Amino acid sequence: MDINQAQEFSLQNPVIEQVEAQTGRARRPVSAGQPDRLDLLRISWLRPFLVSQWPQFLARAITLTGFLFTLAAGLFGTRVGSHNFAIIFVWLAWWTALKLVFIPLGGRSWCSICPIPLPGEWLQRGGILSPGQRRFGLNLRWPRRLRGSWLQWGGFLAIGLFSALTLTDARVTAWVLLGLFALALVLSLVFENRSFCSYLCPIGGFTGIYAQVAPLEVRVVDSSLCATHNEKTCYQSCPWGLYPLALRNSAQCGLCMECLRSCPRDNIAVNLRLFNSDLGQPSRSYRLDEAFLALMMLGSALAFSAVFTGPWGSLKSAAFAIGSTRWALYALGFLALNLVLMPGLFALAVWCGQKWSGIKTPLRGAIASQSQVLLPLGLCAWIAFTISFALPKLSYILSVISDPFSWGWNLLGTARTGWSPEVSWLSPLIQVALLLLGLFGAASLARRLAQTTPRNSFRQVLPGLAYCLAFSIAMLWLLVG
Amino acid sequence: MFRWTLFLALAFVVLFAPVPARATTPADRTFHIQASRFAYSPSVLTVNPGDRVTIELTAMDVVHGLSIDGYNLQTTATPGQTARLSFVADRLGVFHFHCTTTCGNMHPFMIGKIQVGQNSLLWRAGGLAILALAAGFFISCR
Amino acid sequence: MHKEWLARLIILVLVGMVIVLPTIAWRQQTQGILVHARMAETGGWTPEVITAQVGKPLHLRLTSDDVLHSFAIGQSNRPAVDIKPGEISDLTLTFDKPGTYTFYCTRWCSVNHWRMRGTIEVTGPQPAVAAPATPPLYLTLGLDIDAAHHAEVLPQHRPSASRATGLGVPVPAVYRSHDYYLSHTPVELWKALRAEQSFEQLSDQDIWDLVALIWKSNSTPQAVQEGKALFATHCAACHGEAGAGDGVFAGVLDPSMNEAQATMAAGETTVRPANFTDPNPMLSASPARLQGKILRGGMGTGMPYWGPVFTEDQTWSLVAYLWTFIFDYGG
Repeated sequence: MDINQAQEFSLQNPVIEQVEAQTGRARRPVSAGQPDRLDLLRISWLRPFLVSQWPQFLARAITLTGFLFTLAAGLFGTRVGSHNFAIIFVWLAWWTALKLVFIPLGGRSWCSICPIPLPGEWLQRGGILSPGQRRFGLNLRWPRRLRGSWLQWGGFLAIGLFSALTLTDARVTAWVLLGLFALALVLSLVFENRSFCSYLCPIGGFTGIYAQVAPLEVRVVDSSLCATHNEKTCYQSCPWGLYPLALRNSAQCGLCMECLRSCPRDNIAVNLRLFNSDLGQPSRSYRLDEAFLALMMLGSALAFSAVFTGPWGSLKSAAFAIGSTRWALYALGFLALNLVLMPGLFALAVWCGQKWSGIKTPLRGAIASQSQVLLPLGLCAWIAFTISFALPKLSYILSVISDPFSWGWNLLGTARTGWSPEVSWLSPLIQVALLLLGLFGAASLARRLAQTTPRNSFRQVLPGLAYCLAFSIAMLWLLVG
Repeated sequence: MFRWTLFLALAFVVLFAPVPARATTPADRTFHIQASRFAYSPSVLTVNPGDRVTIELTAMDVVHGLSIDGYNLQTTATPGQTARLSFVADRLGVFHFHCTTTCGNMHPFMIGKIQVGQNSLLWRAGGLAILALAAGFFISCR
Repeated sequence: MHKEWLARLIILVLVGMVIVLPTIAWRQQTQGILVHARMAETGGWTPEVITAQVGKPLHLRLTSDDVLHSFAIGQSNRPAVDIKPGEISDLTLTFDKPGTYTFYCTRWCSVNHWRMRGTIEVTGPQPAVAAPATPPLYLTLGLDIDAAHHAEVLPQHRPSASRATGLGVPVPAVYRSHDYYLSHTPVELWKALRAEQSFEQLSDQDIWDLVALIWKSNSTPQAVQEGKALFATHCAACHGEAGAGDGVFAGVLDPSMNEAQATMAAGETTVRPANFTDPNPMLSASPARLQGKILRGGMGTGMPYWGPVFTEDQTWSLVAYLWTFIFDYGG
């Protein structure tokens, strides 16, 4: 059965309803190895929202509309960033929602309603809700050499270098978004699945690694049921090219729910779980790309905090004067921080841990494993930075809703709402609490990792924790100092 | 359970222990701040609690403003017309000040800060950070 | 299968709305000329020339693309309208007489802010009758306002008008006339008074105080106040709030300082703004010379020409205020 038939199957044979009819209520096999999990599909009023295609489709339709409107505002509205719908909604509203809600609570949940890959997905599928007869696309496999998250964090670094301009000029934002939109479309027509999302999207890079910290996952309930199922409709219907039975980690799963819609045995669960659930086991693949991404997110948090929320005007001017010598120095410093200083110090810390504890595993593997502690740390640091960056500016949203292009409209009567930069006394406290939480999470994860080593050696992870402490103190100084 | 209580008690101490404040007599302080796109110079001001602070804002290229969070004070300066802001620094802590007249792209990031007294929040947060690290490491959640 | 068509319909409707609604709104609102204001270095006013008709209201929609600007009409008392970045200010103007009206920016937006000017060409049923233009006084007098000048005599202390009132000496009418004030320098007046027999007992400083008093009597306190307001708005940014030629843009204009970068046209060399607190050039300048400089500008030195902007009264008020930098008018 191929992807079309799998989806047809799930629509025409609502097995889920049959099971409920037979047993009176949705009784699903309790899995053997899933402690500390709450299956959201068992909540009767929540289940239809997750199982039905319509809520997600409508959400995607709205985000697509919003995205196109953002493009229009960016291209045709005023160039003054603080009064343009595109800048305010992308870099304030959406970014805040992403960092404060979508990622910490839902992992890769934004990916399930992101509008950027939509046209490509529809063309690949040949239809919006159901697969169609004519499908477009070459469906090539993504080249092996380009797999991993290297391109993603490269893209994020590039955006970081030009961030002072991108975040403030409406035209530039519009062109960047249009570029990503076109790129996603082209890649969908050449490669299979959501290749852009998996390997190129700069947002997808860090959303993926932080999804391992987040409390939401999609997992198979009882793997013994899958043994007797030959067609593997879940794999056929996954637009991310994942095999749900083998899914142990949420970094690549976009929470689109297509697998559970096509499973004839209703054997896939949407679980609420504890934070850091995907982490704590030593890395088996020794891949450094995710470690680099985690380190780069820490470096970027420091750099952006200094440039955007700090009082150092010469730094901001240097970041903004793109093309000048000052900017070249800033770019050099930014790249050195992210590519040399942060990874170098962390590698040193891990090496010290190895030497101190006498454990003989390869350094590469130790770095890959211990970089996991950087994930809760980085996520909390980015949330804290977002609070500093975005909270004082949220009042712009009101004026921009009424006059998105700055053409003199006043749709909701709030066009003349002045900017009130008054920030409540609460926000520094929230930022401190977040940074402490991140440190706490990193430390408990480090302990869990230490317990997997022979001899329960804490010495191996302590220097890495010292690195985390140093980072947290630096962030504290930048944000509330 | 004991560990949780211990850490919470230590956290309480770090959070609320009174910090010995250096006794200082309130003085008159005047700062001449030059505002240009997109920086204040100087951008970091340090005063003692109770000081009578006067800020003279000179705009160097376009119209700039200055608004101090927490003190709810604001002024605007045009090139050629220095603006003055006077207040008593009676609230302790670190307060940011922002530009209030759109002066270009980076206007929302034109920021400075004024520190009144010691930044006890930073010190306490540092102490709590060490505690959080120790707590995360020594308290088992499973 | 109808689910698929419903989904496609929803998408079509939403995307259509995004494209059609703003387009309709944009087309509907063009009842007025959209004027973009930008710093002079990046374009100034767009459009720079606006046409209008006598008696017909001219709707202008003003917006700024970068910093705070404002819109004012030269030679008129209409208050300036602020143009905030990203917001639209609506303005309706009606002209009674045909002619060319200058509009300009009154909010400092860069060192070349004064170059932000445009014109409104107003045509009417009758052709514009060019009023016979009276040439400015310095031309009538044949004054070379660019020639170097210095004071041969300087006072010991700052001349004070209030000190002179205590002297109680009558001044001959010829020196008190307004025409004399306009066409003579303070040094010339001092030399003339010094030569007067009735003033032989007075000291040099007393004569200077008299000069200050005579100068003060040629303007009203209201005029000096108006001049002060004009100076703060238009002149202080370069000439300094205390008139010492040390305004915020002085460094940019001064060729001896590395930041000099204010020339926009080839061949222009800017100079440091004049220091009005220096008695040497001030005392050897007549009000006619000062007015000439203000009207005509500096011909590439960076000093703007204010002819199309200030009314004659405003110019004389400004001149009257300039004297307060070297004279103590008291009161």
